[in-house]
Amino acid sequence: MAVTDLNKFLATFFSAKRCTIVENKDGVLTVQLTEEMDRALMNRPFYWHYIKKMGNQGDPMQLTLVTNPNKKEVKGEWIHFGSPRLQQIMNYLNQNEKYTKLFQSMNVESNTPLYPWLITNIKVSYKGKHKKDELISIGLHLVNGSMKVEMMKELSSVPLQQMIPDYCYTISPMIKLESGFKRIERVIDDYIERQTHDWAEESIHLLKKEMTLLQHFYSNDDEENSEQQMEKELKEIKNRYNPTITYQVINGGLFYLSPAL
Amino acid sequence: MKSIELQRDTQFIMELQKKLNNSDYTSTWDLFSLTYDAELTRMAPAFTGLRALDYLPQITFMEHQIECAEQVIEDMNGRAILADEVGLGKTIEAGLILKEYMIRGLVKKALILVPASLVNQWERELNEKFYIPAIAHRKNYGWEHGEIIISSIDTAKRSPHREEILNIDYDFILIDEAHKLKNHKTKNFSFVRSLRKKYCLLLTATPVQNQLIEIFNLVSILKPGHLGNYESFLERYGKDRTKIKEDIYLKQLIQKVMVRNTRKETSLNNTKRNIETVWVQFSDEERSVYKELENSKYSLPAFSKITYLREICSSREACFLSLNKLEEENKDYSTLDLKHIIQKIEQLPHHTKAVKVIELIKQIGDEKVIIFTEYRATQLYLQWYLQQYGITSVPFRGGFKRGKKDWMRQLFQNHAQVLIATEAGGEGINLQFCNYMINYDLPWNPMRLEQRIGRVHRYGQTKDVHIYNLAIKGTIEEHIMKLLYEKINLFEQVIGQLDDILAELDIKDMGKEIQTIYSESRTVGEAKIKIDNLASIIQQNQRLSEGEVDQFGSY
Repeated sequence: MAVTDLNKFLATFFSAKRCTIVENKDGVLTVQLTEEMDRALMNRPFYWHYIKKMGNQGDPMQLTLVTNPNKKEVKGEWIHFGSPRLQQIMNYLNQNEKYTKLFQSMNVESNTPLYPWLITNIKVSYKGKHKKDELISIGLHLVNGSMKVEMMKELSSVPLQQMIPDYCYTISPMIKLESGFKRIERVIDDYIERQTHDWAEESIHLLKKEMTLLQHFYSNDDEENSEQQMEKELKEIKNRYNPTITYQVINGGLFYLSPAL
Repeated sequence: MKSIELQRDTQFIMELQKKLNNSDYTSTWDLFSLTYDAELTRMAPAFTGLRALDYLPQITFMEHQIECAEQVIEDMNGRAILADEVGLGKTIEAGLILKEYMIRGLVKKALILVPASLVNQWERELNEKFYIPAIAHRKNYGWEHGEIIISSIDTAKRSPHREEILNIDYDFILIDEAHKLKNHKTKNFSFVRSLRKKYCLLLTATPVQNQLIEIFNLVSILKPGHLGNYESFLERYGKDRTKIKEDIYLKQLIQKVMVRNTRKETSLNNTKRNIETVWVQFSDEERSVYKELENSKYSLPAFSKITYLREICSSREACFLSLNKLEEENKDYSTLDLKHIIQKIEQLPHHTKAVKVIELIKQIGDEKVIIFTEYRATQLYLQWYLQQYGITSVPFRGGFKRGKKDWMRQLFQNHAQVLIATEAGGEGINLQFCNYMINYDLPWNPMRLEQRIGRVHRYGQTKDVHIYNLAIKGTIEEHIMKLLYEKINLFEQVIGQLDDILAELDIKDMGKEIQTIYSESRTVGEAKIKIDNLASIIQQNQRLSEGEVDQFGSY
């Protein structure tokens, strides 16, 4: 789900990163950072270098983040959608929280099997003269090969944990991760194949048009460098308009889920 | 579709395999799903529309600025001339466009080339307003480091920078004051042509100054061939810039690569300029000093005589300092006459204009006021004099270092009521938070006056601007004011227009022009007639170009 409540987003983030919430009231959130988070967010490598050299523990900072626009007078950082701090945290997530291995929490007293799933969230970007993105969440059952889309929505009601629950055991995958990923890619390929791509056609049309103009521009030009210059400009036009589709896995991992799912 | 290139992610699954094998750190469910949510929030689900607006809730954009950004991105595909008139926020438009491209992941590496004096201002605006981590280029700092670099074109085009820069593939190039590229034979032009770029913005308030071929050259940077090739264009349109309005086809073509908003069309019109000339009478003592200087028998060079006359119209201190210096430097001048005048100046009471300024500020009330003067001595005197009346003020000079300028601006914004600036302070700072200006003395170059006004009457100004011009009756100030400035309607002029007219008349420095008139005239009457003539010529050219500007303005 897209982030709408910035306060909740931040509070969840810092709690998950084991930072103590000092106060959270009326859209004003104060957290005590851990050393790890201080190093990740506060941009003071010299401090940490120095402190550690001296054999000291160091003193991680506190951060006050204000998401309530009516509380702007509170001393702290005003957080809105575009604020550098929020973007920094989102970048942090993007770089550091990409891989996972989770088990469905089960409250059972007899032996229960958990089945392996490869779950990936893939961003598909369509880039021609303009660009748009689509985020696709797909899960693949690594034993029977069945697939589910909108997997993240599916999982939102499933309790998950990092340790295998008591009395549970995991079934070994029949499909290897790598070939599983290929299957997922093929499904997306197929999905793209079935779309009409007006955007790409328009881009190619424009590409050709500008290339013709360019050739005309140089038609009477016999200066020495002009050929080189024209090559450069042709490349720029291609660069700008050539239709491309990119897959980028935002995150994914191995999930062990109960057969009920 | 076969013609679409497909780029897959080959790394992820190998990395995942490795992490699982090594039992490395993996995310908890909370962090895993936050990462997904964050991406869902940040991606751009549609080809059109400005995502950047959500990222910049603290900026109130004007309608024409948003339209401009959309037009450049969606219709012009990122290569355009931004040709808004001065003060409508070209920087804001450019910042918005760059931000949008960065959010969509289309721009990572950018080069921003601006006049050297504006490098820091661009850096500040992009950082503070747009949260774009742009940095000014520093010595010994490679060009391949840093994603968004701001530099002056003069630095960039010099070796070894030039070679380094030409080796980089830029996603985005911005050139401010791009009319400097109008001549295709210059080094600047060929340098810019050889940059490797994807998107490109050229910012200029005057896309065509003299000849149509200038716009051809600018367009050649963006879209070679869009206006045909050099020979065919020259043949068809020659050197005549009036053809631009006759040729609808050409106009349409240019509209495809250029956005131009004029003050007339935009809502900036809402804030008005109220201009008032405040006439002041010299006191008897002052007048007698003035007359004595004017009629002085000893042979002061005519050139400096005018300077002294202007100075005494500004402050006792300004004139006193100059005369004193004159006396020290040239012992042969030290006639009783000069000594006598200096003595008289020493005994003058407070300057009649300074008294008027206090009166004006009291009348304005609690609002911020900028006072401009030509002389440093006057600046110091005024600061002291205002203090006597409990009015806080900060000085501002062009010679201040960048950091000090910013500091003074901040002091003015947050603590002092008045900013007293000398001429050179006119350029490069934006003071939209202030809407009262006193021209304590008038510069003789109308462009400088325009720059002064431009500091406050520009994009971001929300209130009507009040400008008071102080002038003393029966002095050269009256000549300049009445014969020149009022006649050519200087204060109501659109910025930039006068610049063009002066360029066409080949008047490079109006101040010098006037000074020459005075020093070459034998009597005051003769000087008056000459100034009047000058004003008439300018006026005539204004009428001529008016129709043209209208045509061009509607781009």
